[in-house]
This record gives sequence, structure tokens and C-alpha cells, in this order.
Amino acid sequence: MNKSRRNFLKTSAFMGASIAGVASTKTVKGAPKNILSDDRMGVLVDTTVCIGCRKCEWACKTSHNMPTEPIEKYDDRTVFEKRRRPNANALTVVNEFENPNGKFPIDVKVQCMHCDHPACLSACIVGAFSKEENGTVLWNGDKCIGCRYCMVACPFQIPAFEFDKAWSPDIKKCDFCFDRTKKGELPACVEICPMEVLTYGKKSDLLRAAKEKIRLYPERYVDHILGEHEVGGTSWMYLSSKEFTQIDFPKLGKNPAPGVTEAIQHGIFAYFIPPIAIYALLGGVMWLNKNRKQTEHGEDE
Amino acid sequence: MKKIFLFIITLVLLTNVNGQVKKMGTSHSQKALICENCHSCSIPTKENPCLRDCPRESIATTKQKPEEGPDIIVINKLKGNQDIYKEVTFSHRLHAEMSEMSGGCVTCHHYNPPGKIIGCDNCHNSSRKREDVNRPDLKGAYHRQCMDCHREWSGGVECSACHQLNTKSPSKEKLITGTIKKSHAKLETPEKITYKTPKAEGKTVVFFHKEHIDLFGLDCQSCHSNDGCVKCHDQRPASAKPKMSVELKHKACSSCHDTKVKSNCVTCHNDKETNGFNHLISTGFNLNSYHSKLSCVRCHTTPGKFTGLNKNCNTCHGTWTKEKFNHKVTGLVLDEIHLEFDCESCHTNPTYAKPECSSCHDDYTYPAFIPGKKVKR
Repeated sequence: MNKSRRNFLKTSAFMGASIAGVASTKTVKGAPKNILSDDRMGVLVDTTVCIGCRKCEWACKTSHNMPTEPIEKYDDRTVFEKRRRPNANALTVVNEFENPNGKFPIDVKVQCMHCDHPACLSACIVGAFSKEENGTVLWNGDKCIGCRYCMVACPFQIPAFEFDKAWSPDIKKCDFCFDRTKKGELPACVEICPMEVLTYGKKSDLLRAAKEKIRLYPERYVDHILGEHEVGGTSWMYLSSKEFTQIDFPKLGKNPAPGVTEAIQHGIFAYFIPPIAIYALLGGVMWLNKNRKQTEHGEDE
Repeated sequence: MKKIFLFIITLVLLTNVNGQVKKMGTSHSQKALICENCHSCSIPTKENPCLRDCPRESIATTKQKPEEGPDIIVINKLKGNQDIYKEVTFSHRLHAEMSEMSGGCVTCHHYNPPGKIIGCDNCHNSSRKREDVNRPDLKGAYHRQCMDCHREWSGGVECSACHQLNTKSPSKEKLITGTIKKSHAKLETPEKITYKTPKAEGKTVVFFHKEHIDLFGLDCQSCHSNDGCVKCHDQRPASAKPKMSVELKHKACSSCHDTKVKSNCVTCHNDKETNGFNHLISTGFNLNSYHSKLSCVRCHTTPGKFTGLNKNCNTCHGTWTKEKFNHKVTGLVLDEIHLEFDCESCHTNPTYAKPECSSCHDDYTYPAFIPGKKVKR
């Protein structure tokens, strides 16, 4: 009995080590993909131009083969009565905010920001996320085990889970129309936008254009490009006439979100000392318990 | 031989110069324009005009009448393979007429170099995928021009107001083309506009529209610089109209009238309808025969401001002195004796109205006795 138990421990230890080994080689392999390209693309969203026609929502659904109402139905503005979030059935949504001092309300499109240092990618324990060369943060369904850590990690609360699907639920989020951009096409929302609220281009060019806009029209914009620095920078960036917290954006620091989690994780697992220590502690407790039980047994006898 | 050669050279040079002058004459470079407004380099050439990105307001503009532009424009420059909507028929002339109240052609043609009004696609790229992301593409530019007014007008953003779906039958087409022949009614200057305010005191405000133009010399643009269609054609229910602050309500007047000072309210706010402007009643200075024909700005020189002036003649006629003033302009040539006196000896009144003779002559009065000869002015 004792012998078999020892064998079991041995094999499990070996297996654990090999799994760790595999995992580590994988991250090494995956790393070059996740390096930031200087030529990565982005989108500049000028919320002062958006009219809230919601054609981007229609185009997004259509290009992702998701069920949608006919395009005429998108003129219905009663949807703005409720604040909406992207979910498994809508990868992007437009919300409308009151604008007491302006002529028109403020409309704001929401979708995955495609962070330069994605928290979802960092949190994913199976490497189902990747940061592509063109800036896209892509989810790979083959690898995903449905743990939903990405949903917790995302500072913008974007990844959504298909809770209504029992057998093969997917994580749903904007994929920056990766299949379209691969072919040299524009993302579907960018292409359809009548006002060109969404300007697609190299991130560096967009930043320059955004700064020029703020310089030329200081009364139109707050002097802040959301996504220039937030959580280490994002591919999608926003201009606004109001502070971003007033149009429902979370207040975020400049440090990449994974920086925080990774620091904790790496701290916990540094040189395996804390795990070993906790197992040693537990082992010690068990050993003490065992000894006490044995002495109790001995007294009974 | 040498002479002939020289002659040919001078001929060539002359024709060249002539040609150049001709070219310059038709172009904008000889007009009184500031080159730096449009060109970033000091010597722009045709090959490298180094044009600035959309200088907008600072660019010299050409003004045209609505009927000089095209009547309709079929917008089909963005045609693709899988279009959702059909091409748009745009009633250009009707829109040009409507824009007359908001600044004319420049309302839309904001980049408008002299010579010719250019279309949107001269600057705005018809492809959304492009290198220069500083200015919107053609599709964006078109829609941004339309939506500002249309959104204000209807409050909605329905695409169907201008577009019809490719899948739909052309029933809407009639509606759009129906407006093409239409023309905006001629805008006539109202005599006066009476406003009723909700205040108990000073309920009535009469705005003397014609007076502000004819008497005070304001042109339409000084007040109507940014009026959209909605200024007259507001179809929204009262609840949907934006609430105007007190400042916003007075904005049109406050550039000339100080509307912040409480004591100024009565200038416009009265219980009953008031009469128009009268210089004597309002200012105490009678515009008599000499001044009645002058335009206001001859004396009130600050543009757009009609602040009170000192009633002394020298406020305006500062250069008048005994030596310089030719008394003949008043219709009276002074005789030699009276010509020697200071003006104030007879004109004790600061307005230089009636002269007083009594300081020298016991029983003389003006105009029974005249210190000189009357002449025709």
C-alpha cells in the first residue's frame, strides 16, 4: 500500500512538471506574436461626430453572421432609453448620453478596445487570446476552456459568454474584423459609418490626427485622447467633448492592466517558494494530526 | 544677322512675359490675398503648391448666387458593388437658397479658393482606406454637411430622409425629385417684430428690424451668421426644443446692447409697443438740418457699437478752430469785424446753436441782426 502511494506521488509529480514544461515552452513560442508592432492599426472614434444611427451595429452583426433585424429597424431610437453593453449577441453597441449645453446628445460606440497589453490575454490560462500584428486582440475558440477569467480581467468588461448555449459556449467579443482586415478590407463598422466617426489607420497616424483636431478645435474637445495612455494604450481611441467618465468610460490608470495581476501572480509563484511553503505547512499540520491520532489510538488500546 | 537674332530673342521673351501676365491675371495670385493662409512654403509652384490642410475660414471665398450653381446633383461618387442604398438626388439650388441665411456657399463649401467653387471630392478622398487620415473621406464629408442641419430640423437621423434602400421599389424617388423644382420663397425684411415675453413687467419687446438695417447700417450677416433652417422651420414640439438660457435669448442683441446691466432692460422691454428710434428723445441731441442726412457711423465710429458721444461739436469736429473753420458752411459769411472774434464770444452755447449778441450789443438779437452776409449753402 505504502509503495503504491509513493508511486502515485512520483508519477503525479512528473506529470505536473511536464505540464509546466509544456506550458512554458508554449508561452515562449507564442511570445513573438504578442510583441507590439509599430505599424499596428487602430480606430479613432470621434464621439462629437457620431449621430447614433447604429449602422455599425447592423454591419457588425451582418459581417459576423449573427441574427439581426433589417437595417431600417435601426432607426428606432427608443433603444437609447436603456444603457447597453456589448454582449454575446451584439459585439458593439451605441449608447446615447444627454448633453445639456450642446445642440445634440452624445452618442458613443462601445466595443473591445484591443489593448496594447491585453488583460484578457494575460489572464487566459490556456493562451486562447493573441495580440496580432495589426493590433487585433483575437480569441481562439479551439483553445478556450470557458473559464471566463478574461471577462473578469478586462478593464472595459468586454468579453461576453454565451450563457444560453449549454454545449459549446463561446467567448464573444469584437475581433476587429480580423477576417476582413486580413484580406485588406476595412472593419465592417468602419466601412459603413456614414459620418466617418470611425477613422481607421495606423495608430501613430491616428494619434497625430487626434492631437491636431484638439489643437484646432479646443472648444470642441476635451484635451484627452482616451486610449493613448489608458491601461498602457489601446488600438481603439476616443475623442470627446465631455470628460470620459461622463460618457460611461471607467477611470483607468496608465499602467497596463496585466501589470497588476501579473505582479501578484509572479509574486505568489516566485521561485515556487510560497506554494512549497504552503504545502509544507499543510503537510506539517497533517503530520501533527496523524501523530496525535496515533497516540489517541495507542491510549485506546 | 545679329540684329535679327536679338529681335527674335526679345520677341520670345516678350511673348513669354505676356503669357505669364495673362496667366497671372486669371489666377488668384494678383488678388489681395495673404499667401500664407493657403500655402505653407514661400514660393508655391504648380508642381508643388504646398497647400495647407483645409484653411477653412481664413481662405478667400467666392460668393455665387444660388442660381449660378447646379439645380440638382446626383450623388453617385461612392457607388460600390454591394450598396445598401441607391444614389442620392440632391436639390442643390434649393439648399443653396436656404443657406443664404447662414453664410451662403461657405456654409458647405468651406474650402473655397477664389475663382471657382469646388466640390467636396476635390479634397475628400472617395476611398475610406487612405494614407491621410487628417480629413474625413468623401462619405464622411458629405454626411457631416447634411446631418448638422437635418438633425436639428427633424431631431432624427433616419437614413431614409435622403436615401432609399436598393431593395425597395422607387416610391420614395418621387418625393425627393418633387422638391427639385421648388424654390425657397423670397425673404423679405420685416418692418418690425413684436415679441411677448413671459415676464409680468416689460412684457413687450419690439424689434425694429428695418430700422436696424437702414438706420443703423447692419447687414444681414451681422445677425444671421449661423441660422439653420430650423430658425424658421422648427417642426419639433415645444417639449423637444432646447431650453434657451437668458443669455442665449439675448445673444443676438447683446453684441451691441449691453444686456447684462439691469437698468438697460427698459431700452427694449416695455409694457406697450414702443415707437422706433428717435435721436432727440433717446439721446437729447437733435439731428437738425446739418446732421439729419449723415449715416450713424459718421459720428459713432466704433463698428457695431452706438455708444453715446459728448455733445460738444469738437468731439467730432475736433479740428475746428477759429482759424480753420470756414463759417461759410453754415450759410453765413462773417463780416471782417466778427471774423476776428473767438467762436465762444457769440456761441455761448456748447452746441454752437444760436449765437448771443448781447455781450457786445445791447439791443441786437439773432436772427434779426446778422453779423455778415447770408449765402446759399
